[in-house]
Amino acid sequence: MATNLKPVDVVVIGLGAAGGVAVLPLARAGLKVAGIEAGTWMDPHRDFHADEVYNNVRRLVSSSPKAQRECPTVRATPSQQARSAGVHPMMNAIGGTSIHYWAQSWRLKPWDFRTRSESIRRYGPNSIPAGSTLEDWPLTYDDLEPYYDIIEQEVGVSGKAGNIQGRIDPAGNVFEGPRQREYPMPPLRGAGFTDHMMDAARQLGWKPFRPPAAINSQPYRGRNPCVFHGYCSAGGCHVGAKNSTATTTIPDAVRTKNLTIFDKAQVTRIMTDANGRTTGVNYIRDRKEYFQPAKIVLLAGYTYENSRLLLLSKSKAYPNGLSNNHGQVGRHYFGHWVSNVSALFPTDINVWYGLPAQGATVDEWADDSFDHAGLGFIGGASLHVYTERHPIDAAAMNTYGRAPLFGSAWKKFVHENAGRVASTYLQTNTFPYETSFLDLDPEVRDPLGDPVCRITAGGVRENEQRALQHAQNKMEQWFRAAGAIEVTKPPNNGPGISTHAYGGTRMGDNPETNVVDPWGFSHESPNLGILGASVMGSSGARNPTLTLQALAWRTAEHLVKNWKSLAA
Amino acid sequence: MIDRMKSSDVSRRELIQSAAFVPLAALISSAQTPQAALTPAQMKTLVAFIDRLIPTDELGPGAVASGAQIYIDRVLAGPNANEKAAFIQGLESVDAYAQRVHGAPLAELSAGKRDQVVNEMVDSPFFNRARRLTLEGMFSDPYYGGNKNFAGWDLIRYPGPRPAVAAGDQALNVEVKPYRVSAYGANYGH
Repeated sequence: MATNLKPVDVVVIGLGAAGGVAVLPLARAGLKVAGIEAGTWMDPHRDFHADEVYNNVRRLVSSSPKAQRECPTVRATPSQQARSAGVHPMMNAIGGTSIHYWAQSWRLKPWDFRTRSESIRRYGPNSIPAGSTLEDWPLTYDDLEPYYDIIEQEVGVSGKAGNIQGRIDPAGNVFEGPRQREYPMPPLRGAGFTDHMMDAARQLGWKPFRPPAAINSQPYRGRNPCVFHGYCSAGGCHVGAKNSTATTTIPDAVRTKNLTIFDKAQVTRIMTDANGRTTGVNYIRDRKEYFQPAKIVLLAGYTYENSRLLLLSKSKAYPNGLSNNHGQVGRHYFGHWVSNVSALFPTDINVWYGLPAQGATVDEWADDSFDHAGLGFIGGASLHVYTERHPIDAAAMNTYGRAPLFGSAWKKFVHENAGRVASTYLQTNTFPYETSFLDLDPEVRDPLGDPVCRITAGGVRENEQRALQHAQNKMEQWFRAAGAIEVTKPPNNGPGISTHAYGGTRMGDNPETNVVDPWGFSHESPNLGILGASVMGSSGARNPTLTLQALAWRTAEHLVKNWKSLAA
Repeated sequence: MIDRMKSSDVSRRELIQSAAFVPLAALISSAQTPQAALTPAQMKTLVAFIDRLIPTDELGPGAVASGAQIYIDRVLAGPNANEKAAFIQGLESVDAYAQRVHGAPLAELSAGKRDQVVNEMVDSPFFNRARRLTLEGMFSDPYYGGNKNFAGWDLIRYPGPRPAVAAGDQALNVEVKPYRVSAYGANYGH
């Protein structure tokens, strides 16, 4: 039997990007918080290196053993056998995936919160993609704006505002929603190549800008600025310039003495009483099982783990899994449609150093920034060119049919061209569909005997395919304007397992189609809150972390303000 | 109480007690143990093969002079052990092919004949895997056994993992002075 521990006010499952920010407002309000994390502290000196084999080939920062043992299986449609996805950078560590992410820290657009009604208003009801389960979010951009601002300040985000209270500044993103104030740090400096790409975009009449990043462009709250050494992707920051929750909100929460961290502790079940309220969590640490009682449970794992843990936590009140009496857990899941359009230039572009968040971004072809009449899709993609190129990856470059794959002719080709290739990150507005969902795999189990999460990706998505193809063509136009001599546009088939995974516990007013209410608390189990991209009902055309952190802070603040009614 | 525990409490306890965390450090140390995966004969075939993938020529040292075979041998003994059998089978089939078509195992053929063999294998699974591991060996940090004297980084003009990068080092049309130190210190690479 599990050993009973001393009750706490709030137990937070997972101290990653989401749980790692939620603990701070809770601890500051004086609530006693237990943070249960499967991983532990990472040591910047021991664990983070300027080494491509370590970070990118063996993925020693981004592939935690527990996450690999529980790696989801994937299939396109229910008629197929799901197969293990192999590896996934779901992270077990204090700080979670914010340890090794690219730290691109975007606000979504006002349109993202009202995509359904705005698309119907502008393009008619047939513009909503067939088979999608898209709903307007139950909150607006204006509702979330104060929380975006809090995260930008507390975590630390570098950037340039394009819209401060309606005042437009073309040095920033003119397509963004209004912000109450400027970013707390100026944007990361440009590189020669990203400046060159900005010039090319302006020649096309576009409005490029330096994108926001949770990377220090200057000393911030006693932490170091970025050294641009070129090993940010899938690596941790050895100087502490990448603002993971492990270096920002979690240490701040620890200092209040109200947060107790239980590391190397794997939560196996969320427990409930006969009335359907959560009572705490069971976890395993050092081969022993414990029960941590709490008045409130906040579930803050990765998207796949959030649905999985709910589905595993069956009880009399929830025979099909916790908070799943309406059959919505695992539904409205989707992975972000993304693409890399790459290009070869006739001269050296010197992008070896830097980091993926050091770049130039164009937002003309994302969201509803342009007229979609007659195009056959809604949404689009942000176009982002960036720096950081590693030597093995560079040597493994496409030879574009200009050289053989081996021998002296190949050597001559890479000698000349390895430093002339640019990569991009195109992120598409992606939506949920009836045919994409998460459930428990009927065959594959983890070492504890629990089923792993199974992803049913759902097959062809005409809307997203067209939107991304449109954006790829714009990216090619941009590269050609900048002088590229070869451009490669990979085919778009959508993700299987994804590093930007959304849904499964969607947020919305309607309990028939959503797991959590507009504040992030379960419609069915009132003292269960859920944090992370699993509550997001659409992706936006940009990285999810800042949005899921703003939502997490908002859920935690709601809990503090309504403690008596929620914890009663 | 959760359903499954009622029926299988005992076996579940056993499972819990057996589920130890594998520390990251264990993975890293196994990656760095210089063990040999290949026999001398297999190594001879590997060297004969990757010598043609990236030959030594007027542009500088090739894969063998850079020690890519040392990297490959180590990873097949350590972190890539799960592909060791398939890789050795690939080496054996290369030798069998060389024997059948050219009358001798690969290592005994002239450079020109070996080029023919490699060319006929382009895009085969073994070619792709051997090429990938050769690139890893030649262009990785010399800490891992290859990229001797930073020959790989010199070939592609990678400026090296300098600890801090100034704005001028990221300008267009500059020749950045190569920084030739391993991320793990000056003991590696020479």
